[in-house]
Amino acid sequence: MSDGPVYVYGVAAVAKTPLSVSTRGVEAARIRAIEDDGLLALISDVRGESLATAREVRAHWRVLDEASESATVLPVRFGTVLEDEDGVRARLLEPNAERLKELLRELDGRVQLTLKGDYDEQLLLRQVVEESDAVARLRDRVRSVPAEAAYYERIRLGEMVAAQVDQRRAEDTRMALETLEPLAVAAREEDATRPDAALSLSFLVDRDRVPQFNDGVRKLATRFGDRISLRYVGPLPPYSFADIQLDPEAVAWA
Amino acid sequence: MAIATQSRGGYLERPRPSGLADVIDVILDKGLVIDAYVRVSLIGIELLTIDARIVIASVDTYLRFAEAVNRLDIAHDDTQHGLPDLMESITSGGAESKTKGAIEGIKDKLTGDDDDDEDSGGQQSSGSRSRSRASSRSSSGSSRSSSGSSRSSRSSSGSSSSRSRSRKKSS
Repeated sequence: MSDGPVYVYGVAAVAKTPLSVSTRGVEAARIRAIEDDGLLALISDVRGESLATAREVRAHWRVLDEASESATVLPVRFGTVLEDEDGVRARLLEPNAERLKELLRELDGRVQLTLKGDYDEQLLLRQVVEESDAVARLRDRVRSVPAEAAYYERIRLGEMVAAQVDQRRAEDTRMALETLEPLAVAAREEDATRPDAALSLSFLVDRDRVPQFNDGVRKLATRFGDRISLRYVGPLPPYSFADIQLDPEAVAWA
Repeated sequence: MAIATQSRGGYLERPRPSGLADVIDVILDKGLVIDAYVRVSLIGIELLTIDARIVIASVDTYLRFAEAVNRLDIAHDDTQHGLPDLMESITSGGAESKTKGAIEGIKDKLTGDDDDDEDSGGQQSSGSRSRSRASSRSSSGSSRSSSGSSRSSRSSSGSSSSRSRSRKKSS
């Protein structure tokens, strides 16, 4: 037990078998759990000197991965440090006990599966030009004049292509959700991060339904064919479904 | 243990261990947020979260799109020009040459050390894409990364969570 700042990885319910994690945490520190009224927080001492490296991000991830093998764990966002153990109880566990317990019940026995799709940009743009007369016409016009003479038309062309890509993204996301949402408890649309991103979805899936979900992803991959390459990651602790802002201070109930 | 699979041409390859690049988005952007916490502002974490999420919005991007469709015919025999190239120039912007050294350095940091090598094998094109994304994201962060535990003020990370739309079903 020490009295300095602690790094917080996640929150779980106290169970009969204590949750132990052998993976070393950030700054290679040993992981321990502190309890408060049925809840526990996974923490480690932190000096805060070297959180800059990918090694620390990876440590955060690995600790949560290991802990999630034997319990349902609500991940805390990377880089969360509280002043000491009392701070963990007073700021995290006590004021949010009801909310955390409810969330833990909701996520119990469930995992996150994340699916990202990227367009094959050649196929994508070719389709846009082939299927939109307006784009094709404007493209022909833009090409027939020197670049500097068609500045605003080029912007307009790019805008039209972007709109078409947005539309396709919406359609493809809908197709993915149609196929996969029935196999999941919940789905979340993540932000598209890049112009060639087709979709980015996170699903909450009952652990014992993961095989069916895998089949669904395979089916979807077949439907997308060469157009979209999929990246399928999981099972993960439910990062995207524990993505909430907690109250920092205890509410004084009268 | 997280696994990741990847589809090329309509089928999913067998599962393989995932690298940090596959999960970095959720680790940095998702999870419980304690308002009064200290979120260490190293490797430009703020930038990693805001960073390259340039969705199609700027005039600059429109112009690049226009160029890309204009090039399509040529692209029959020269398929190397397209959105990935554009992404590179969009994300690294005008400072490309200046930041190149830093990009390489951060790239090593993000993807190079210890067990992350496991995903350098069968990752092919989309792997290198996400890799370069991670590196170009952090490139902008490198300029402002500091060291030491900064007991910084509250972060703005709450905003990203509100952007992801919940589509919860009854369970």
